[in-house]
Amino acid sequence: MTGIEAISAHNGWSIAIVGISIVFSGLVLLSLTISQLHKALDIWERRGAYWERFRRRGPETTETAPERECIYLPPNVKESARQCRLLVEHLGQPFPLPKLLEFSDRCGLDHPHSTINELLLARVIIPDGEGFYLWNDNVEFTS
Amino acid sequence: MGNLSDLILQFIGNTGYYMLDYRYLTMLIVGVVFIYLGIAKRYEPLLLVPIGFGILMGNIPVFKGLGLAIYEDNSVLHYLYMGVTAGVYPPLIFLGIGAMTDFSTMLARPLLMLLGAAAQMGIFLTFLGALALGFAPNEAGAIGIIGGADGPTAIFLTAKLAPYLIGPIAVAAYSYMALVPVIQPPIMRLLTSRKERLIRMEEPREVSKQEKIIFPVIGFLLCCLLAPAALPLLGMLFFGNLLKECVVAERLAVAARTSVIDTVTILLGVTVGASTQADVFLTPQSVGIFVLGALSFSIATASGLLFAKLINLFLKTKINPLLGAAGVSAVPDSARVVQHVGQEEDPSNFLLMHAMAPNVSGVIGSAIGAGVLWSFIVT
Repeated sequence: MTGIEAISAHNGWSIAIVGISIVFSGLVLLSLTISQLHKALDIWERRGAYWERFRRRGPETTETAPERECIYLPPNVKESARQCRLLVEHLGQPFPLPKLLEFSDRCGLDHPHSTINELLLARVIIPDGEGFYLWNDNVEFTS
Repeated sequence: MGNLSDLILQFIGNTGYYMLDYRYLTMLIVGVVFIYLGIAKRYEPLLLVPIGFGILMGNIPVFKGLGLAIYEDNSVLHYLYMGVTAGVYPPLIFLGIGAMTDFSTMLARPLLMLLGAAAQMGIFLTFLGALALGFAPNEAGAIGIIGGADGPTAIFLTAKLAPYLIGPIAVAAYSYMALVPVIQPPIMRLLTSRKERLIRMEEPREVSKQEKIIFPVIGFLLCCLLAPAALPLLGMLFFGNLLKECVVAERLAVAARTSVIDTVTILLGVTVGASTQADVFLTPQSVGIFVLGALSFSIATASGLLFAKLINLFLKTKINPLLGAAGVSAVPDSARVVQHVGQEEDPSNFLLMHAMAPNVSGVIGSAIGAGVLWSFIVT
């Protein structure tokens, strides 16, 4: 017996289809597992930190969100502060102050020196202790 | 005086020169060609030289009943050949392969494993082809596995399904593995455009030692629970890899990848070569096996390439489809061919490291394929 008839008689189609499906399933399963392996190991490595975070979120030790501070800024400075905030987002945090000044100048911000000085005095921009600065997100502007 | 002349005539009648016919002569030439290819052309010398010499050993015509030929029960070669027929040597070779294989690139880019799976289409399509040509299902399964491009796997499955075909199937499998640099490039060029061959691969991420240690355990459990018939091959492959990666068993890993695999390769090569005794080997069936073997290799290469092109349709960062050709598990030759063909287009494009991922996953895939065929055909 030869040809298609022989294949059908010996159940060849089913063996081939199921066979290649098993090979694919095996390697897909292995592929999916090992693609997640490094993530699982990463979680295992940082299990202490995750546990700590979980513990802090527990009902007995719930922490209240830090209170937001209200700061008065004149309307023109408030608008400049909003623009500065966008520039800081662009620069990334922590950022060097001269860079912020340079960007503010380049973007045509009104009186960049005095605006940044006001923001420093109002503790909207705060030093990180390592020569760079951070934007204090816990402040709200009023005018 | 009469006795002396009888003795001399008897001696002459017993010599190989007297018993030599065209079939043995043909096989002796084949043996010499194998040795030549292995030494002069450096095509898989570690395999072709022992097999070639084994062919010479198996094709010296000898008197039946003296216990000299490999198919005689009391011959030394027969005892050595038992390691092949009982399926002992292939798992030991897999142990050595596991102890020398670095799965890092595969772990870094698991998607490439699918190319190794796609290339196994060659096994099953050739199985259908062999059935269509009139081979029995057990023979068709043994012939189909040539497409896995993995010598030990082919020998292991043939020993289980059709032991009388070990000679032609092993010789076909190893010949085509040695001819990977000749068979694959035209198919690769035919099925890919220049633009595709120029695609550069992203640098793979760094793989941690922990991942490398955990992988053989997870890989073994997942694959062998799915296809338990692949246990002898995959068990040894992953065990060898665990020895390599765990560091604490370095002595065993060194033994597995040096003395164990070398000894078994010698025994396997020589006995497989010797099993090609002319009266058993030179049959129309062997010609059919060689034709189907070549077809199987080509289908496997094409399947890998086309699957790579298919998954590119869904990927943002395209992969070089040439990597699909490395899915046939001729390690590391098909990966080297990918590198070579890629560098013909762009000498600064290094694909070898990336091609090792489908290449080693092809080894796993072909072992699963062999296990599947074995369980389906035997039960």
